[in-house]
Amino acid sequence: MTETTGRNMRYLAIKLLELLATLLLVSFLTFAAFSIIPGDAAGIMLGPNASPEQIARLRTELGLDKPVIVQYINWLGGAFTGNLGTSVAYKLPVISLIAERLPVTIGMSVIATVMVIVISYPLAILSARKPGRIGDQVCSFLGHVLFAVPPFVLSLLLIIFTAKFLNIFTVGRYAPPSKDPGMFIGSLILPSFAIALPKIAMTFKFMRSAIIEQNNSEYVKTAKSHGLGNIKILMTHVLPNSNVSSITILSLVLSDILGGSLIVEQVFNLPGLGRLLLSAIARRDFPLLSGMVFYLALITVVLYFAADILAGLADPRIRLK
Amino acid sequence: MKTKKSSLSAAFFITGLILLGIVVLAFLISIVHTPYDPNLTDVTAKLQAPSSAHLFGTDNFGRDVFSRVLSASKYTIFISFAGVFIAAFLGILTGLPAGYFGGFKDRAIMLFNNSIMCFPGILLALVAVAVFGASMFNVVWALGLVFAPTFARVIRTGTLEIKERDYITQAKVMGASPVRIMTSHILPNLMPQLLPATVIGLANMTLFESGMSYLGLGVQPPDASFGKMLADAQAYMTGAPWLIIFPALMLILYILGLYFISEGLRITLSGGDN
Repeated sequence: MTETTGRNMRYLAIKLLELLATLLLVSFLTFAAFSIIPGDAAGIMLGPNASPEQIARLRTELGLDKPVIVQYINWLGGAFTGNLGTSVAYKLPVISLIAERLPVTIGMSVIATVMVIVISYPLAILSARKPGRIGDQVCSFLGHVLFAVPPFVLSLLLIIFTAKFLNIFTVGRYAPPSKDPGMFIGSLILPSFAIALPKIAMTFKFMRSAIIEQNNSEYVKTAKSHGLGNIKILMTHVLPNSNVSSITILSLVLSDILGGSLIVEQVFNLPGLGRLLLSAIARRDFPLLSGMVFYLALITVVLYFAADILAGLADPRIRLK
Repeated sequence: MKTKKSSLSAAFFITGLILLGIVVLAFLISIVHTPYDPNLTDVTAKLQAPSSAHLFGTDNFGRDVFSRVLSASKYTIFISFAGVFIAAFLGILTGLPAGYFGGFKDRAIMLFNNSIMCFPGILLALVAVAVFGASMFNVVWALGLVFAPTFARVIRTGTLEIKERDYITQAKVMGASPVRIMTSHILPNLMPQLLPATVIGLANMTLFESGMSYLGLGVQPPDASFGKMLADAQAYMTGAPWLIIFPALMLILYILGLYFISEGLRITLSGGDN
Protein backbone atom coordinates (compact mmCIF):
# COMPACT_ATOMS: atom_id res chain seq x y z
CA MET A 1 0.00 0.00 0.00
CA THR A 2 2.70 2.47 1.00
CA GLU A 3 4.77 1.44 -1.98
CA THR A 4 1.88 2.15 -4.35
CA THR A 5 1.25 5.48 -2.66
CA GLY A 6 4.93 6.32 -3.04
CA ARG A 7 4.84 5.46 -6.70
CA ASN A 8 1.69 7.50 -7.18
CA MET A 9 3.29 10.48 -5.49
CA ARG A 10 6.37 10.05 -7.67
CA TYR A 11 4.22 9.94 -10.79
CA LEU A 12 2.41 13.08 -9.71
CA ALA A 13 5.68 14.85 -8.87
CA ILE A 14 7.19 14.01 -12.28
CA LYS A 15 4.04 15.19 -14.02
CA LEU A 16 4.06 18.44 -12.01
CA LEU A 17 7.69 19.08 -12.92
CA GLU A 18 6.84 18.43 -16.57
CA LEU A 19 3.94 20.86 -16.28
CA LEU A 20 6.17 23.56 -14.84
CA ALA A 21 8.87 23.03 -17.48
CA THR A 22 6.30 23.19 -20.25
CA LEU A 23 4.69 26.31 -18.81
CA LEU A 24 8.06 28.00 -18.56
CA LEU A 25 8.91 27.09 -22.14
CA VAL A 26 5.47 28.16 -23.36
CA SER A 27 5.84 31.51 -21.61
CA PHE A 28 9.33 31.93 -23.06
CA LEU A 29 8.11 31.09 -26.57
CA THR A 30 5.24 33.55 -26.26
CA PHE A 31 7.55 36.28 -25.04
CA ALA A 32 10.20 35.50 -27.67
CA ALA A 33 7.64 35.55 -30.49
CA PHE A 34 6.79 39.16 -29.65
CA SER A 35 10.42 40.15 -29.08
CA ILE A 36 11.75 39.07 -32.45
CA ILE A 37 9.32 41.33 -34.29
CA PRO A 38 11.34 42.99 -37.02
CA GLY A 39 11.83 46.67 -36.23
CA ASP A 40 10.62 48.62 -33.25
CA ALA A 41 7.51 47.17 -31.58
CA ALA A 42 6.39 50.56 -30.25
CA GLY A 43 6.79 52.11 -33.69
CA ILE A 44 4.78 49.32 -35.31
CA MET A 45 1.99 49.66 -32.73
CA LEU A 46 1.65 53.39 -33.11
CA GLY A 47 1.84 53.37 -36.92
CA PRO A 48 3.74 55.57 -39.35
CA ASN A 49 2.27 58.87 -38.15
CA ALA A 50 3.56 58.69 -34.58
CA SER A 51 6.08 61.26 -33.39
CA PRO A 52 9.44 60.13 -31.94
CA GLU A 53 8.29 61.42 -28.49
CA GLN A 54 5.14 59.27 -28.59
CA ILE A 55 7.18 56.22 -29.55
CA ALA A 56 9.70 56.90 -26.77
CA ARG A 57 6.86 57.29 -24.25
CA LEU A 58 5.27 53.98 -25.28
CA ARG A 59 8.65 52.27 -25.13
CA THR A 60 9.09 53.38 -21.53
CA GLU A 61 5.48 52.49 -20.73
CA LEU A 62 5.95 48.94 -22.05
CA GLY A 63 9.39 48.61 -20.50
CA LEU A 64 10.99 48.11 -23.91
CA ASP A 65 13.94 50.29 -22.90
CA LYS A 66 15.04 47.70 -20.32
CA PRO A 67 17.27 44.68 -21.13
CA VAL A 68 15.39 41.77 -22.72
CA ILE A 69 15.97 39.42 -19.79
CA VAL A 70 14.48 41.96 -17.35
CA GLN A 71 11.53 42.40 -19.67
CA TYR A 72 10.97 38.64 -19.72
CA ILE A 73 11.16 38.26 -15.95
CA ASN A 74 8.76 41.15 -15.44
CA TRP A 75 6.38 39.73 -18.01
CA LEU A 76 6.59 36.21 -16.53
CA GLY A 77 5.96 37.51 -13.02
CA GLY A 78 2.95 39.42 -14.33
CA ALA A 79 1.63 36.45 -16.29
CA PHE A 80 1.46 34.21 -13.23
CA THR A 81 -0.02 36.88 -10.98
CA GLY A 82 -2.69 37.85 -13.48
CA ASN A 83 -1.12 41.17 -14.37
CA LEU A 84 -0.33 41.20 -18.07
CA GLY A 85 -0.08 44.91 -18.46
CA THR A 86 -2.36 47.33 -20.23
CA SER A 87 -3.80 47.02 -23.68
CA VAL A 88 -2.40 49.72 -25.95
CA ALA A 89 -5.62 50.05 -27.94
CA TYR A 90 -8.23 49.76 -25.17
CA LYS A 91 -6.21 51.42 -22.38
CA LEU A 92 -7.57 48.74 -20.04
CA PRO A 93 -5.85 45.90 -18.16
CA VAL A 94 -5.38 42.92 -20.47
CA ILE A 95 -6.72 40.56 -17.83
CA SER A 96 -10.06 42.36 -17.49
CA LEU A 97 -10.50 42.50 -21.27
CA ILE A 98 -9.99 38.74 -21.42
CA ALA A 99 -12.27 38.11 -18.44
CA GLU A 100 -15.03 40.16 -20.06
CA ARG A 101 -14.98 38.01 -23.24
CA LEU A 102 -14.47 34.68 -21.51
CA PRO A 103 -18.15 33.73 -20.91
CA VAL A 104 -18.87 33.38 -24.65
CA THR A 105 -15.78 31.28 -25.36
CA ILE A 106 -16.15 29.11 -22.27
CA GLY A 107 -19.90 28.80 -22.80
CA MET A 108 -19.45 27.63 -26.38
CA SER A 109 -16.70 25.21 -25.40
CA VAL A 110 -18.78 23.66 -22.63
CA ILE A 111 -21.94 23.32 -24.75
CA ALA A 112 -19.95 21.90 -27.69
CA THR A 113 -18.19 19.37 -25.43
CA VAL A 114 -21.51 18.24 -23.93
CA MET A 115 -22.88 17.81 -27.47
CA VAL A 116 -19.84 15.76 -28.49
CA ILE A 117 -20.24 13.42 -25.52
CA VAL A 118 -24.01 13.10 -25.68
CA ILE A 119 -24.11 12.39 -29.42
CA SER A 120 -20.90 10.52 -30.22
CA TYR A 121 -20.84 8.01 -27.36
CA PRO A 122 -24.24 6.40 -27.90
CA LEU A 123 -23.59 6.28 -31.66
CA ALA A 124 -20.17 4.71 -31.11
CA ILE A 125 -21.61 2.09 -28.74
CA LEU A 126 -24.44 1.25 -31.12
CA SER A 127 -22.15 1.13 -34.17
CA ALA A 128 -19.60 -1.03 -32.39
CA ARG A 129 -22.23 -3.64 -31.49
CA LYS A 130 -22.44 -4.89 -35.07
CA PRO A 131 -19.59 -3.39 -37.12
CA GLY A 132 -20.20 -3.42 -40.84
CA ARG A 133 -24.00 -3.24 -40.53
CA ILE A 134 -25.79 -0.61 -42.59
CA GLY A 135 -26.32 1.73 -39.61
CA ASP A 136 -22.65 1.54 -38.73
CA GLN A 137 -21.63 2.25 -42.34
CA VAL A 138 -23.98 5.23 -42.62
CA CYS A 139 -22.57 6.69 -39.39
CA SER A 140 -18.98 6.11 -40.51
CA PHE A 141 -19.61 7.68 -43.91
CA LEU A 142 -21.36 10.73 -42.40
CA GLY A 143 -18.45 10.99 -40.00
CA HIS A 144 -15.96 11.21 -42.85
CA VAL A 145 -17.99 13.88 -44.61
CA LEU A 146 -18.53 16.00 -41.49
CA PHE A 147 -14.86 15.82 -40.73
CA ALA A 148 -14.07 17.51 -44.04
CA VAL A 149 -16.29 20.56 -43.56
CA PRO A 150 -14.55 23.54 -41.95
CA PRO A 151 -16.55 24.64 -38.87
CA PHE A 152 -17.07 28.12 -40.26
CA VAL A 153 -18.57 26.67 -43.45
CA LEU A 154 -20.82 24.44 -41.31
CA SER A 155 -21.88 27.58 -39.46
CA LEU A 156 -22.86 29.31 -42.69
CA LEU A 157 -24.80 26.26 -43.86
CA LEU A 158 -26.55 25.99 -40.47
CA ILE A 159 -27.47 29.68 -40.60
CA ILE A 160 -28.97 29.31 -44.09
CA PHE A 161 -30.80 26.16 -43.04
CA THR A 162 -32.32 27.59 -39.86
CA ALA A 163 -33.24 30.86 -41.55
CA LYS A 164 -34.83 29.22 -44.62
CA PHE A 165 -36.58 26.25 -43.08
CA LEU A 166 -37.10 27.06 -39.43
CA ASN A 167 -37.41 30.81 -39.82
CA ILE A 168 -35.02 31.40 -36.95
CA PHE A 169 -32.47 34.14 -37.36
CA THR A 170 -29.68 33.51 -34.93
CA VAL A 171 -27.01 35.89 -36.09
CA GLY A 172 -26.61 38.99 -33.98
CA ARG A 173 -28.95 37.80 -31.23
CA TYR A 174 -26.92 37.92 -28.08
CA ALA A 175 -27.39 38.93 -24.46
CA PRO A 176 -24.77 38.85 -21.72
CA PRO A 177 -25.27 35.99 -19.24
CA SER A 178 -25.95 38.39 -16.37
CA LYS A 179 -28.83 40.06 -18.23
CA ASP A 180 -30.64 37.20 -19.91
CA PRO A 181 -29.13 33.76 -19.23
CA GLY A 182 -31.70 32.01 -21.43
CA MET A 183 -30.93 34.13 -24.44
CA PHE A 184 -27.20 33.86 -23.72
CA ILE A 185 -27.31 30.07 -23.89
CA GLY A 186 -29.75 30.16 -26.81
CA SER A 187 -27.39 32.31 -28.83
CA LEU A 188 -24.55 29.85 -28.26
CA ILE A 189 -26.40 26.67 -29.28
CA LEU A 190 -26.01 26.91 -33.07
CA PRO A 191 -22.36 28.02 -33.05
CA SER A 192 -21.52 25.31 -30.52
CA PHE A 193 -23.21 22.75 -32.74
CA ALA A 194 -21.11 23.92 -35.71
CA ILE A 195 -17.90 23.44 -33.74
CA ALA A 196 -19.10 20.17 -32.23
CA LEU A 197 -20.14 18.37 -35.44
CA PRO A 198 -16.65 17.57 -36.83
CA LYS A 199 -15.49 16.68 -33.32
CA ILE A 200 -18.50 14.37 -32.91
CA ALA A 201 -17.30 12.63 -36.06
CA MET A 202 -13.77 12.41 -34.70
CA THR A 203 -14.82 11.11 -31.27
CA PHE A 204 -17.27 8.66 -32.83
CA LYS A 205 -14.57 7.15 -35.02
CA PHE A 206 -12.06 6.92 -32.19
CA MET A 207 -14.44 5.49 -29.58
CA ARG A 208 -15.99 3.06 -32.05
CA SER A 209 -12.52 1.57 -32.67
CA ALA A 210 -11.75 1.51 -28.96
CA ILE A 211 -14.98 -0.31 -28.12
CA ILE A 212 -14.62 -2.78 -31.00
CA GLU A 213 -11.13 -3.58 -29.74
CA GLN A 214 -12.48 -4.23 -26.23
CA ASN A 215 -15.36 -6.31 -27.62
CA ASN A 216 -12.89 -8.60 -29.38
CA SER A 217 -10.76 -9.12 -26.30
CA GLU A 218 -10.61 -12.39 -24.42
CA TYR A 219 -12.15 -11.16 -21.18
CA VAL A 220 -15.28 -9.98 -22.95
CA LYS A 221 -15.61 -13.35 -24.64
CA THR A 222 -15.17 -15.01 -21.24
CA ALA A 223 -17.80 -12.73 -19.71
CA LYS A 224 -20.16 -13.64 -22.57
CA SER A 225 -19.54 -17.34 -22.05
CA HIS A 226 -20.44 -16.85 -18.40
CA GLY A 227 -23.80 -15.61 -19.61
CA LEU A 228 -23.47 -11.94 -18.75
CA GLY A 229 -25.85 -9.63 -20.61
CA ASN A 230 -24.60 -7.23 -23.25
CA ILE A 231 -25.49 -4.15 -21.23
CA LYS A 232 -23.84 -5.51 -18.11
CA ILE A 233 -20.66 -6.30 -20.07
CA LEU A 234 -20.72 -2.85 -21.62
CA MET A 235 -21.17 -1.03 -18.32
CA THR A 236 -18.82 -3.06 -16.13
CA HIS A 237 -16.11 -4.14 -18.59
CA VAL A 238 -16.00 -2.38 -21.93
CA LEU A 239 -16.63 1.23 -20.94
CA PRO A 240 -14.35 1.32 -17.87
CA ASN A 241 -11.59 -0.21 -19.97
CA SER A 242 -12.10 2.46 -22.64
CA ASN A 243 -11.54 5.23 -20.10
CA VAL A 244 -8.00 6.00 -21.25
CA SER A 245 -9.17 6.25 -24.86
CA SER A 246 -11.96 8.58 -23.71
CA ILE A 247 -9.59 10.82 -21.79
CA THR A 248 -7.13 11.02 -24.68
CA ILE A 249 -9.70 11.89 -27.31
CA LEU A 250 -11.63 14.32 -25.11
CA SER A 251 -8.54 16.33 -24.20
CA LEU A 252 -7.70 16.65 -27.90
CA VAL A 253 -11.29 17.54 -28.75
CA LEU A 254 -11.46 20.17 -26.02
CA SER A 255 -8.37 22.01 -27.18
CA ASP A 256 -9.60 21.85 -30.79
CA ILE A 257 -12.97 23.19 -29.72
CA LEU A 258 -11.29 26.11 -27.98
CA GLY A 259 -9.34 26.99 -31.14
CA GLY A 260 -12.37 26.41 -33.36
CA SER A 261 -14.53 28.76 -31.29
CA LEU A 262 -12.19 31.64 -32.16
CA ILE A 263 -13.30 31.51 -35.80
CA VAL A 264 -16.88 30.33 -35.44
CA GLU A 265 -17.89 33.09 -33.05
CA GLN A 266 -16.94 35.54 -35.82
CA VAL A 267 -19.51 33.94 -38.13
CA PHE A 268 -22.22 34.47 -35.52
CA ASN A 269 -20.90 37.86 -34.51
CA LEU A 270 -20.50 36.90 -30.86
CA PRO A 271 -18.35 38.97 -28.48
CA GLY A 272 -15.89 36.29 -27.35
CA LEU A 273 -12.14 35.91 -27.33
CA GLY A 274 -12.06 35.53 -31.13
CA ARG A 275 -13.32 39.05 -31.66
CA LEU A 276 -10.88 40.40 -29.10
CA LEU A 277 -8.08 38.54 -30.84
CA LEU A 278 -9.00 39.98 -34.24
CA SER A 279 -9.19 43.49 -32.92
CA ALA A 280 -5.86 43.03 -31.14
CA ILE A 281 -4.38 41.82 -34.43
CA ALA A 282 -5.90 44.66 -36.43
CA ARG A 283 -4.65 47.29 -33.97
CA ARG A 284 -1.30 45.54 -33.44
CA ASP A 285 -1.95 45.56 -29.71
CA PHE A 286 1.01 43.38 -28.69
CA PRO A 287 0.48 43.35 -24.87
CA LEU A 288 -3.09 42.16 -25.44
CA LEU A 289 -2.03 39.63 -28.07
CA SER A 290 0.76 38.10 -26.01
CA GLY A 291 -1.54 37.90 -23.00
CA MET A 292 -4.24 36.10 -24.96
CA VAL A 293 -1.75 33.72 -26.57
CA PHE A 294 -0.24 32.85 -23.21
CA TYR A 295 -3.54 32.28 -21.41
CA LEU A 296 -5.01 30.19 -24.21
CA ALA A 297 -1.84 28.06 -24.26
CA LEU A 298 -2.02 27.86 -20.46
CA ILE A 299 -5.54 26.44 -20.65
CA THR A 300 -4.35 23.83 -23.16
CA VAL A 301 -1.31 22.87 -21.09
CA VAL A 302 -3.39 22.43 -17.94
CA LEU A 303 -5.95 20.44 -19.93
CA TYR A 304 -3.32 18.00 -21.22
CA PHE A 305 -1.86 17.78 -17.72
CA ALA A 306 -5.25 16.92 -16.25
CA ALA A 307 -5.74 14.33 -19.00
CA ASP A 308 -2.38 12.75 -18.17
CA ILE A 309 -3.23 12.55 -14.48
CA LEU A 310 -6.69 11.12 -15.16
CA ALA A 311 -5.22 8.56 -17.56
CA GLY A 312 -2.77 7.57 -14.82
CA LEU A 313 -5.64 7.17 -12.36
CA ALA A 314 -7.69 5.13 -14.84
CA ASP A 315 -4.85 2.84 -15.83
CA PRO A 316 -2.16 2.02 -13.24
CA ARG A 317 0.13 0.74 -16.04
CA ILE A 318 0.58 4.33 -17.22
CA ARG A 319 1.66 5.71 -13.86
CA LEU A 320 3.86 2.77 -12.95
CA LYS A 321 5.84 2.89 -16.18
CA MET B 1 -11.17 -10.89 -45.52
CA LYS B 2 -8.00 -9.75 -47.27
CA THR B 3 -9.87 -8.91 -50.48
CA LYS B 4 -12.58 -7.07 -48.56
CA LYS B 5 -9.93 -4.90 -46.95
CA SER B 6 -8.14 -4.11 -50.20
CA SER B 7 -11.39 -3.36 -52.01
CA LEU B 8 -12.43 -0.99 -49.21
CA SER B 9 -9.13 0.85 -49.38
CA ALA B 10 -9.36 0.97 -53.18
CA ALA B 11 -12.87 2.45 -52.92
CA PHE B 12 -11.65 5.17 -50.56
CA PHE B 13 -8.62 5.82 -52.70
CA ILE B 14 -10.47 6.10 -56.00
CA THR B 15 -13.31 8.24 -54.57
CA GLY B 16 -10.70 10.49 -53.01
CA LEU B 17 -8.80 10.84 -56.25
CA ILE B 18 -11.98 11.72 -58.15
CA LEU B 19 -12.98 14.41 -55.61
CA LEU B 20 -9.47 15.82 -55.53
CA GLY B 21 -9.30 15.59 -59.31
CA ILE B 22 -12.24 17.99 -59.66
CA VAL B 23 -10.37 20.69 -57.73
CA VAL B 24 -7.06 19.98 -59.46
CA LEU B 25 -8.85 20.22 -62.80
CA ALA B 26 -10.25 23.62 -61.79
CA PHE B 27 -6.73 24.66 -60.87
CA LEU B 28 -5.33 23.50 -64.22
CA ILE B 29 -8.09 25.25 -66.16
CA SER B 30 -7.52 28.47 -64.20
CA ILE B 31 -3.90 28.56 -65.42
CA VAL B 32 -4.92 28.31 -69.06
CA HIS B 33 -8.17 30.23 -69.16
CA THR B 34 -10.97 31.66 -67.04
CA PRO B 35 -14.21 32.82 -68.71
CA TYR B 36 -13.85 36.25 -67.10
CA ASP B 37 -11.06 38.04 -65.28
CA PRO B 38 -11.68 36.72 -61.72
CA ASN B 39 -11.08 40.17 -60.21
CA LEU B 40 -12.97 42.18 -62.82
CA THR B 41 -15.90 44.03 -61.26
CA ASP B 42 -19.04 44.88 -63.24
CA VAL B 43 -21.68 46.73 -61.23
CA THR B 44 -24.25 46.32 -64.00
CA ALA B 45 -24.14 42.53 -63.52
CA LYS B 46 -24.08 42.18 -59.75
CA LEU B 47 -25.73 39.36 -57.79
CA GLN B 48 -26.96 37.50 -60.85
CA ALA B 49 -28.21 33.96 -60.39
CA PRO B 50 -26.38 31.17 -62.26
CA SER B 51 -27.03 31.35 -66.01
CA SER B 52 -25.32 30.36 -69.26
CA ALA B 53 -23.35 33.62 -69.22
CA HIS B 54 -22.29 33.15 -65.59
CA LEU B 55 -22.29 29.43 -64.73
CA PHE B 56 -22.07 30.00 -60.95
CA GLY B 57 -23.68 33.47 -60.99
CA THR B 58 -22.04 36.75 -59.98
CA ASP B 59 -21.18 38.31 -56.61
CA ASN B 60 -22.02 41.71 -55.12
CA PHE B 61 -19.34 43.37 -57.24
CA GLY B 62 -20.53 41.67 -60.42
CA ARG B 63 -17.53 39.37 -60.48
CA ASP B 64 -17.96 35.99 -62.15
CA VAL B 65 -18.15 33.37 -59.38
CA PHE B 66 -17.13 30.52 -61.70
CA SER B 67 -13.90 32.30 -62.67
CA ARG B 68 -13.24 33.15 -59.04
CA VAL B 69 -13.80 29.57 -57.92
CA LEU B 70 -11.33 28.37 -60.57
CA SER B 71 -8.80 30.95 -59.46
CA ALA B 72 -9.32 30.27 -55.74
CA SER B 73 -8.54 26.55 -56.19
CA LYS B 74 -5.11 27.66 -57.39
CA TYR B 75 -4.33 29.42 -54.09
CA THR B 76 -5.80 26.63 -51.96
CA ILE B 77 -3.67 24.02 -53.70
CA PHE B 78 -0.54 26.17 -53.70
CA ILE B 79 -0.75 27.15 -50.02
CA SER B 80 -1.48 23.64 -48.78
CA PHE B 81 1.33 22.04 -50.80
CA ALA B 82 3.92 24.73 -50.01
CA GLY B 83 2.94 24.69 -46.31
CA VAL B 84 3.13 20.90 -46.08
CA PHE B 85 6.51 21.00 -47.81
CA ILE B 86 7.87 23.37 -45.17
CA ALA B 87 6.25 21.43 -42.31
CA ALA B 88 7.62 18.10 -43.58
CA PHE B 89 11.07 19.61 -44.11
CA LEU B 90 11.20 21.05 -40.58
CA GLY B 91 9.67 17.88 -39.16
CA ILE B 92 12.37 15.74 -40.77
CA LEU B 93 15.08 18.18 -39.70
CA THR B 94 14.06 17.85 -36.03
CA GLY B 95 12.32 14.46 -35.77
CA LEU B 96 14.98 12.41 -37.53
CA PRO B 97 17.93 13.36 -35.26
CA ALA B 98 15.67 13.23 -32.18
CA GLY B 99 14.70 9.65 -32.93
CA TYR B 100 18.13 8.57 -34.13
CA PHE B 101 20.34 10.02 -31.41
CA GLY B 102 17.86 9.69 -28.53
CA GLY B 103 18.92 10.78 -25.05
CA PHE B 104 19.29 14.43 -24.24
CA LYS B 105 18.94 15.68 -27.84
CA ASP B 106 15.70 13.75 -28.15
CA ARG B 107 14.32 15.12 -24.88
CA ALA B 108 15.27 18.70 -25.72
CA ILE B 109 13.81 18.59 -29.23
CA MET B 110 10.60 16.89 -28.13
CA LEU B 111 10.07 19.21 -25.16
CA PHE B 112 10.33 22.15 -27.55
CA ASN B 113 8.02 20.37 -29.98
CA ASN B 114 5.41 19.56 -27.36
CA SER B 115 5.49 23.14 -26.09
CA ILE B 116 4.67 24.44 -29.55
CA MET B 117 1.82 21.94 -29.74
CA CYS B 118 0.35 23.47 -26.57
CA PHE B 119 -0.60 26.59 -28.48
CA PRO B 120 -3.90 26.18 -30.29
CA GLY B 121 -2.65 25.88 -33.89
CA ILE B 122 -5.00 28.38 -35.40
CA LEU B 123 -4.01 30.93 -32.76
CA LEU B 124 -0.30 30.50 -33.55
CA ALA B 125 -0.89 30.87 -37.28
CA LEU B 126 -3.08 33.95 -36.80
CA VAL B 127 -0.58 35.64 -34.51
CA ALA B 128 2.35 34.91 -36.85
CA VAL B 129 0.44 36.49 -39.70
CA ALA B 130 -0.62 39.38 -37.48
CA VAL B 131 2.96 40.15 -36.45
CA PHE B 132 4.55 39.78 -39.87
CA GLY B 133 1.66 41.06 -41.95
CA ALA B 134 -1.12 39.32 -43.86
CA SER B 135 0.14 37.93 -47.14
CA MET B 136 0.00 34.60 -48.88
CA PHE B 137 3.67 33.83 -48.23
CA ASN B 138 3.36 34.60 -44.53
CA VAL B 139 0.37 32.26 -44.36
CA VAL B 140 2.46 29.52 -46.02
CA TRP B 141 5.36 29.64 -43.61
CA ALA B 142 3.14 30.24 -40.57
CA LEU B 143 1.18 27.08 -41.40
CA GLY B 144 4.44 25.26 -42.13
CA LEU B 145 5.71 26.16 -38.65
CA VAL B 146 2.45 25.26 -36.92
CA PHE B 147 2.32 21.82 -38.53
CA ALA B 148 6.04 21.00 -38.21
CA PRO B 149 5.75 19.42 -34.70
CA THR B 150 3.12 16.95 -35.97
CA PHE B 151 5.52 15.81 -38.67
CA ALA B 152 8.42 15.71 -36.22
CA ARG B 153 6.43 13.34 -34.01
CA VAL B 154 5.58 10.99 -36.85
CA ILE B 155 9.17 11.00 -38.13
CA ARG B 156 10.62 10.43 -34.66
CA THR B 157 8.35 7.48 -33.89
CA GLY B 158 9.19 5.91 -37.24
CA THR B 159 12.92 6.50 -36.77
CA LEU B 160 12.88 4.88 -33.32
CA GLU B 161 11.58 1.70 -34.90
CA ILE B 162 13.74 1.66 -38.04
CA LYS B 163 17.04 2.40 -36.31
CA GLU B 164 16.89 -0.97 -34.54
CA ARG B 165 16.84 -2.89 -37.83
CA ASP B 166 19.78 -5.03 -38.88
CA TYR B 167 20.73 -3.12 -42.00
CA ILE B 168 21.21 0.05 -39.95
CA THR B 169 23.60 -1.80 -37.63
CA GLN B 170 25.40 -3.09 -40.70
CA ALA B 171 25.68 0.39 -42.17
CA LYS B 172 27.10 1.57 -38.84
CA VAL B 173 29.63 -1.26 -38.82
CA MET B 174 30.70 -0.32 -42.34
CA GLY B 175 31.46 3.15 -41.06
CA ALA B 176 28.54 5.16 -42.50
CA SER B 177 28.20 8.57 -40.85
CA PRO B 178 25.01 9.36 -38.85
CA VAL B 179 23.98 11.88 -41.50
CA ARG B 180 24.35 9.30 -44.24
CA ILE B 181 22.44 6.66 -42.26
CA MET B 182 19.62 9.08 -41.56
CA THR B 183 19.29 10.47 -45.08
CA SER B 184 19.87 7.40 -47.21
CA HIS B 185 18.85 4.51 -44.98
CA ILE B 186 16.17 5.74 -42.59
CA LEU B 187 14.41 8.55 -44.46
CA PRO B 188 13.46 6.51 -47.57
CA ASN B 189 11.98 3.85 -45.30
CA LEU B 190 9.81 6.38 -43.48
CA MET B 191 7.52 6.75 -46.51
CA PRO B 192 4.74 4.56 -45.03
CA GLN B 193 4.49 7.05 -42.14
CA LEU B 194 5.29 10.20 -44.07
CA LEU B 195 2.83 9.68 -46.91
CA PRO B 196 -0.43 9.54 -44.89
CA ALA B 197 0.84 12.35 -42.65
CA THR B 198 1.41 14.48 -45.75
CA VAL B 199 -2.05 13.85 -47.16
CA ILE B 200 -3.73 14.56 -43.80
CA GLY B 201 -1.48 17.61 -43.43
CA LEU B 202 -2.72 18.96 -46.77
CA ALA B 203 -6.32 18.59 -45.60
CA ASN B 204 -5.77 20.10 -42.15
CA MET B 205 -3.76 22.95 -43.59
CA THR B 206 -6.60 23.76 -45.95
CA LEU B 207 -9.01 23.80 -42.99
CA PHE B 208 -6.74 26.36 -41.32
CA GLU B 209 -6.04 28.42 -44.43
CA SER B 210 -9.72 28.72 -45.32
CA GLY B 211 -10.50 29.84 -41.76
CA MET B 212 -7.72 32.42 -41.85
CA SER B 213 -8.83 33.70 -45.25
CA TYR B 214 -12.39 33.89 -43.90
CA LEU B 215 -11.12 36.18 -41.13
CA GLY B 216 -9.30 38.28 -43.73
CA LEU B 217 -5.86 37.14 -42.58
CA GLY B 218 -5.12 34.73 -45.41
CA VAL B 219 -5.10 35.33 -49.14
CA GLN B 220 -5.51 39.07 -49.58
CA PRO B 221 -8.22 40.69 -51.69
CA PRO B 222 -8.88 41.21 -54.54
CA ASP B 223 -7.44 37.72 -55.10
CA ALA B 224 -10.06 35.02 -54.65
CA SER B 225 -9.86 32.36 -51.95
CA PHE B 226 -12.65 30.09 -50.81
CA GLY B 227 -12.53 31.47 -47.28
CA LYS B 228 -12.71 35.12 -48.31
CA MET B 229 -15.41 34.43 -50.90
CA LEU B 230 -17.52 32.85 -48.16
CA ALA B 231 -16.90 35.77 -45.82
CA ASP B 232 -17.95 38.27 -48.50
CA ALA B 233 -20.99 36.17 -49.37
CA GLN B 234 -22.31 36.07 -45.81
CA ALA B 235 -24.20 39.35 -46.10
CA TYR B 236 -26.07 38.11 -49.20
CA MET B 237 -26.44 34.47 -48.37
CA THR B 238 -30.21 34.19 -48.01
CA GLY B 239 -30.85 36.02 -51.30
CA ALA B 240 -27.88 34.67 -53.24
CA PRO B 241 -27.10 31.17 -51.92
CA TRP B 242 -24.93 30.40 -54.98
CA LEU B 243 -22.31 32.67 -53.48
CA ILE B 244 -22.01 30.22 -50.59
CA ILE B 245 -22.74 26.90 -52.28
CA PHE B 246 -20.06 26.80 -54.97
CA PRO B 247 -17.01 27.95 -52.98
CA ALA B 248 -18.10 25.80 -50.02
CA LEU B 249 -18.59 22.79 -52.28
CA MET B 250 -15.13 23.10 -53.85
CA LEU B 251 -13.49 23.57 -50.47
CA ILE B 252 -15.25 20.50 -49.06
CA LEU B 253 -14.43 18.41 -52.16
CA TYR B 254 -10.75 19.19 -51.78
CA ILE B 255 -10.58 18.35 -48.08
CA LEU B 256 -12.86 15.31 -48.36
CA GLY B 257 -10.84 14.00 -51.32
CA LEU B 258 -7.66 14.24 -49.27
CA TYR B 259 -9.28 12.51 -46.26
CA PHE B 260 -10.54 9.66 -48.42
CA ILE B 261 -7.10 9.19 -49.99
CA SER B 262 -5.47 9.16 -46.55
CA GLU B 263 -8.07 6.67 -45.28
CA GLY B 264 -7.33 4.42 -48.26
CA LEU B 265 -3.60 4.73 -47.60
CA ARG B 266 -4.08 4.03 -43.91
CA ILE B 267 -6.09 0.85 -44.48
CA THR B 268 -3.56 -0.39 -47.07
CA LEU B 269 -0.47 0.44 -45.02
CA SER B 270 -1.72 -0.70 -41.61
CA GLY B 271 -3.53 -3.70 -43.01
CA GLY B 272 -6.21 -3.17 -40.39
CA ASP B 273 -9.82 -2.08 -40.43
CA ASN B 274 -11.69 0.18 -37.97
